[in-house]
Amino acid sequence: MSPQPQDAVGAPLSRVDGRLKVTGQAAYAADHGTAHGIDGIVHAVVVTSSVGRGRITAIDASAAEAQSGVLKVLSHRNAPTLPYRPNPGSLNLPGERLHVFQDDEVRFHGQPVAAVIATTLEAAQHAAGLVRVDYDAEQPVTDLVGAPANEPPAAYARGDAEAAFNAAPVRLEMTYRLSRTHHNAMELHATVARWSGARVTVWEKTQWVQSTRDELAAVFGIPATDVRVISPFVGGAFGNAARCWPHTVIAALAAREVGRPVKLVLTRRQLYSGAGFRPAYEYKVRLGSDREGRLAAMTHDLRAETSRYERFSERGVLSPGQMLYTTPNVSQAYRTVPLDVNTPTPMRGPGYSTAAFPIESALDELAHELGIDPVQLRLRNEPESDQASGLPFSTRRLRECLNTGAREFGWNRRDPKPGRTRDGDWLLGTGVATAVYDTLRAPAQARARLNADGTALVESATSDMGPGTYTSMTQIAADALGLPVRQVTFRLGDTIMPPAPVHGGSLTMASIGSTVQDGCDKLRLQAIQLAVDDEKSPLHGAAPEDVVVRDGRLHLKDDSGRGETYRQLLTRNNRTHLEADGAYTPARPQASMYAYGAVFAEVAVDRRLGLVRVRRMLAVYDAGRIISPKLADSQAIGGMVGGISAALLEHTLTDPRDGRIANANLADYLVPVNADVPQLKAIYLDGRDEVADPIGVKGLGEVVLVGVAPAIANAVFHATGRRVRELPITIDALL
Amino acid sequence: MYPFTFTKAATAREAIDAGRRGGRYIAGGTTLVDLMRETVERPEALVDIAALPLDEITVTGRGALRIGALARMAETAAHPQVRTRYPVISQALELSASAQLRNMATIGGNIMQRTRCTYFRDVSAACNKRRPGSGCAALQGINRSHAILGTSDQCVATHPSDVAVAFAALEATVHLLGPDGERTVAFADFLLQPGSTPDREHNLRPGELITAVEIPVHPRPLKSGYLKVRDRQSYEFALTSAAVALHLRGGVIREAKIAAGGVGTVPWKLPAVERHLIGQRPSDALWASAAALAADGARPLAHNRFKVELLKRTVERQLRIVGGTA
Repeated sequence: MSPQPQDAVGAPLSRVDGRLKVTGQAAYAADHGTAHGIDGIVHAVVVTSSVGRGRITAIDASAAEAQSGVLKVLSHRNAPTLPYRPNPGSLNLPGERLHVFQDDEVRFHGQPVAAVIATTLEAAQHAAGLVRVDYDAEQPVTDLVGAPANEPPAAYARGDAEAAFNAAPVRLEMTYRLSRTHHNAMELHATVARWSGARVTVWEKTQWVQSTRDELAAVFGIPATDVRVISPFVGGAFGNAARCWPHTVIAALAAREVGRPVKLVLTRRQLYSGAGFRPAYEYKVRLGSDREGRLAAMTHDLRAETSRYERFSERGVLSPGQMLYTTPNVSQAYRTVPLDVNTPTPMRGPGYSTAAFPIESALDELAHELGIDPVQLRLRNEPESDQASGLPFSTRRLRECLNTGAREFGWNRRDPKPGRTRDGDWLLGTGVATAVYDTLRAPAQARARLNADGTALVESATSDMGPGTYTSMTQIAADALGLPVRQVTFRLGDTIMPPAPVHGGSLTMASIGSTVQDGCDKLRLQAIQLAVDDEKSPLHGAAPEDVVVRDGRLHLKDDSGRGETYRQLLTRNNRTHLEADGAYTPARPQASMYAYGAVFAEVAVDRRLGLVRVRRMLAVYDAGRIISPKLADSQAIGGMVGGISAALLEHTLTDPRDGRIANANLADYLVPVNADVPQLKAIYLDGRDEVADPIGVKGLGEVVLVGVAPAIANAVFHATGRRVRELPITIDALL
Repeated sequence: MYPFTFTKAATAREAIDAGRRGGRYIAGGTTLVDLMRETVERPEALVDIAALPLDEITVTGRGALRIGALARMAETAAHPQVRTRYPVISQALELSASAQLRNMATIGGNIMQRTRCTYFRDVSAACNKRRPGSGCAALQGINRSHAILGTSDQCVATHPSDVAVAFAALEATVHLLGPDGERTVAFADFLLQPGSTPDREHNLRPGELITAVEIPVHPRPLKSGYLKVRDRQSYEFALTSAAVALHLRGGVIREAKIAAGGVGTVPWKLPAVERHLIGQRPSDALWASAAALAADGARPLAHNRFKVELLKRTVERQLRIVGGTA
């Protein structure tokens, strides 16, 4: 623990970049232009395939090229060969990433087949519609059901699940389905690319500038040092801006071909095939227990979609089945099914939120079968240690989450029998589910600089897709340096900054937070050392460990009268600034580290019309230390809204005849509006996880989505007596 | 977007002259501009009619309600005469679109708005409405939101308007002004079912301009209301909807005006349901037996079979909400 007073950490600060955002001064990728020194930008618009599989037989760009303002129409017919060097980093997957404009093959509907570059956006858009592409089309396969899988599956086993299941007094067997969903962040994917000589600078929407840098270097066969990626603001991503997608390569290629900076913004429709998605799943569960609800065996058979050119498997989808509840016998088989679709990618709460729906629904089904309260059933299967790794838990307070949640929610007021509580035409029900997500940490670096005017600048090449990295890192730095928040600036999103891991998987707070604290601790100690060594300092001769800094003033811990300010110290010593590098390298885990939550939902279902309305939700989280309570609430409420969306609304509809996504727009692909979002409340168990990382956090952004959909599904069952095993739950299923 | 010319009409005559020469009228622009950006619509000339004096909402000497074609959705919904006499119109408007759109979109434009069929709006898909003879991708495609009534083997697209359902129920008339002068068309005859010509959606003649929608005199008191069923609670088109207006005297239903939305290729009047109600006393049993007739003739598709039952239940519910129970 830091010896410093924690004034900023734990304070409910508003976003430090809030004013920039609401006044339109925050520059997102597509905002970059002349005001940022990028002159002479031209525009690229992508032309996408209108067939789901096949070959391009002809491209007639003559009408497009004849349009005034059109500079070039790029396609595989005229694009230069790109090296596409192997790049095992950058979240590339087994298989081979899509190469843009390198051959005539169409692998999925909506694949980029050409790009029009023109001096105005309007000219490029219009000309893109004039490019005529002919195909030799084949029948694509886009439906997971019945399609052959990659073999062998990813598998896990302990004990003898088959025998234990067969011997169990209570046996349940269910198949659950989750539809394909898209991230649909508010900000569209956008790239501005500018070459100068052999070096390229890219202003990009990304959760990981280094990944994009390395991928562009590999694609173009140039050193990574010749690529700079800048991404100061991201307008939501949810995982979908972690990889470098084909449009980024197209923008860079187009800029090189026309010799001018190019801006490329995907349309909303193009987002559905231009970047990844959460794959559809078929998830078969078998569950055996004794009559008291103690689990004896659980088997999990999963099938999930992937593309034919890459094998995407979701990290974490098998974990809950292995460690969440005491289960002596487990077997799991996870198969990916190659389809004529683009490659899926992680989406908020990846894997864990997928697994939560079948597992938490199955537990609810068991509770109902046995007549045991669903909260009690979970408490009854609470493990003492991690049965998968054999490790002790760093901290696991799920029991407390469930009990606190039940109390605060008023859980025990429910009539356990489903379909019995009415309010006019509405049937009321309540449901509970557990949330779990592992605590990830990754190596990270930061640079901290203390200026003679008493301000500080801290930098790390991380990202802020919405959780408030700017703010939380400022809080950490402010406390470690003993400065007011307003004196500290945190910068991110540029490959010239010290390297950071992907801004995803809820690892940013733990990893960047720890490295920021490390750098700022070092910087503070440097200043203290300078003072205690300085004969002219009131602190001369003091033991460094006896000195703390508060409000920019160094003083003795036990005698606040003896001290001086950073400004006085640096000025007297003729120092313009002090600087220190922070680093964080996570230790090999000696414990099983997860964030947990218990999610409670109340729904109303119109008994005749089948409408489902969430009335209220409450969740209790064991996420370690909360650095920034206001932002934590923003995450938790956002996660619950995302969960409501997954439970009741989101569903990417693919036309099986040609692989066309039929609802590739925000009128037909539904996400909640304010009216769908009721009273949501999040509670955080007070505490910290000293094992997880130096700042005691366990990650929050993912776990808050996990468990929401099954809590709602379980509440729908309680309201109606109808078990819906497919997400989203819509009117059709409840009539 | 394709290049186009844009002119502002100062008078109806100017507009009609431009319209006769092929100009497309634009007022709020909330549908047309969207479709132009998607290149579904490619007009060569736009004629802005927003300045024409057609936005008045008045009650005529005989007591009919006349809503000017350029009255905004929001203004219409909020108008005291509309609110008090025809809650079904106000409710249908308030349950449409979003506040921002309702502030822009006009009544004339609303009834002229084009279908939300995903294949119509995607120029790379087959669509007989957009490109006659190219086929109907929705017929065997993703068709959960599509129509079950008034369809043909050429088109199954739903008419998306809510207020048009209220107008259909109330047997409105559409007032038109064209090169040959004024004429009036019954609402039921104004919008066309697709048949073998799904590209023909209304019976406007070249250059004709909608000037007003008129609600005829109905016996008072008229109880009315609109129910819209959809997946999310706002800002979505109807899966099913019901506009119901009832006049009761002596505890007996004397007049019933009912139409359904979200289910038809045009707003779907329900005369069999209306006939079933006339002369009866309100009861839950009556609502159920009347609503059972609501989906007569429905031809569901692969993904919208649920609409048959949902339509009946929607009508039943709205009959009860408006008519109460005995």
